[in-house]
Amino acid sequence: MTAQAPAYLDYAATSPVDARVAAAMSECLTLDGVFGNPSSMHQHGRLARERVERARAQAAALIHAEPQQLVWTSGATESNNLAILGTARAAARRGRHLVSARTEHKAVIDPYHRLEHEGFQVTWLETDGQGLIAPQQVREALRDDTVLVSIMHANNEIGVLQDIEAIAAACHERAVPLHVDAAQSAGKVSVDVTRLGCDLLSFTAHKMYGPKGIGALYFAPARRAALQPLVFGGGHERGLRSGTLAVHQIVGFGLACELAAAAWASDAQHCERLRARLWQGLQAIEGVLLNGHPTQRVAGILNVSFTGIEGESLLMGLSDLSVSTGSACNSDSDEPSYVLRALGRDSELAQSSLRFSLGRFSTEADIDRAIAAVTREVRRLRAILP
Amino acid sequence: MNDRAMTAGDAVVPLDPLGPQVRRLFEALAHAGEPRAAVANGGATPANATRVVSGDAGRERRGTRVKFTLRLAGDRLLEVRYRAYGCPYTLAACEWLARRLEAGGRALIGAPGEWAQELRIPPARMGRLLVVEDALRAALAAAGLPSTDS
Repeated sequence: MTAQAPAYLDYAATSPVDARVAAAMSECLTLDGVFGNPSSMHQHGRLARERVERARAQAAALIHAEPQQLVWTSGATESNNLAILGTARAAARRGRHLVSARTEHKAVIDPYHRLEHEGFQVTWLETDGQGLIAPQQVREALRDDTVLVSIMHANNEIGVLQDIEAIAAACHERAVPLHVDAAQSAGKVSVDVTRLGCDLLSFTAHKMYGPKGIGALYFAPARRAALQPLVFGGGHERGLRSGTLAVHQIVGFGLACELAAAAWASDAQHCERLRARLWQGLQAIEGVLLNGHPTQRVAGILNVSFTGIEGESLLMGLSDLSVSTGSACNSDSDEPSYVLRALGRDSELAQSSLRFSLGRFSTEADIDRAIAAVTREVRRLRAILP
Repeated sequence: MNDRAMTAGDAVVPLDPLGPQVRRLFEALAHAGEPRAAVANGGATPANATRVVSGDAGRERRGTRVKFTLRLAGDRLLEVRYRAYGCPYTLAACEWLARRLEAGGRALIGAPGEWAQELRIPPARMGRLLVVEDALRAALAAAGLPSTDS
């Protein structure tokens, strides 16, 4: 008898590739497929270029943009780096002030730290206790020399959705561009760059049933000239990102976007129902706390803390679940989640948090296994507390 | 996460970060009867115990707290029980020490560096073992015993 595979409840970390996406990708690898270099002028190249441009149109449609407003990258991390470093460095003579939030993903925080080393000054906004940034905070942080604001759409740890429309309006009052990391929201909620009013938006394939290693950066028409490339060597992607295009990954990303555009609403409904079931089951455990705003959030993420529980021991006891934790296991650091600390959780609660993230293939049986396993482990660890 | 954790970053994660011995000891806590972790009613300190002493160290806020309870007949250790709040390495080390002490007395336990080597505990977690050691020393001192047989 084989042991049952762990229930996968970590879709915010990555998602499995949809079988239809994998099939489309495999058509772009071998001699009998579309394997050419899209920069080549011969027929193999033209066929590959056609697939790449079709994918660009599919990805642009998901966020209601024009195809020429997208540049391919290796994922949201590179998109964020290009948006932040590319914008700030290009604008350095005009100003050296930047604004972002303490709860951003490291792929935003680290480029901002890099710019601090280069002489820029960053205003780090604090969230309220539920993880939200008020547009007025952004308004008050802007200065005459502010050249960029970065605020994520959905937080990767707690799932809270920021009011990007209102934040963009505040930025535009001072003609400051807004960059949005939408890695956790694209394909999960409606993302319309025109309605949101953002100037730059990062998104990635592997959070929406596409392959790892491919993403895109959207830029509003006026931003193209104000974006300095990070990678040189051939002038691909209109000079913004040199390097031979990974046709199979781009094709997979494009199809994943098309599928997400058709399925995100029903996926969200499915995740919402399962998340409610999970939260109801976990609430039977004494001392469980919800992290983040209860309703202003993406459907698939539930982050909870348990009083009196050491997070790493909890996670290690949950061997039949694949979930993420706010503790620092497997790292050399003992620091608990900086996002939960920014929300005002003490280090003990921040460390005892679990992030459940649900997706298209999650089932009620997964949820019931999770409730049973967490209940058992929390009881076991509490039973041996000093 | 973790991304880190949760998410956090893309650190290289070993297949099982705990290692086989720590994993075995950690999972033993789930099986009633086998582990030395004290049960909720106060632990295995029967009413007919000749002498019961305890020692504790650490704080939950700092990530680790351990309490050892010893039952003795004269200078002879009969039972060693513990309660702990801490990471899997902490819990496994407590379980391992309790078993060793019951099996052969203080000579078998050595110093934290030796426990770390035996259990393959990473250097970053050595601070937690020091809390375990402090709790054990406090319990042995309360029993009027030296920390090692010498």
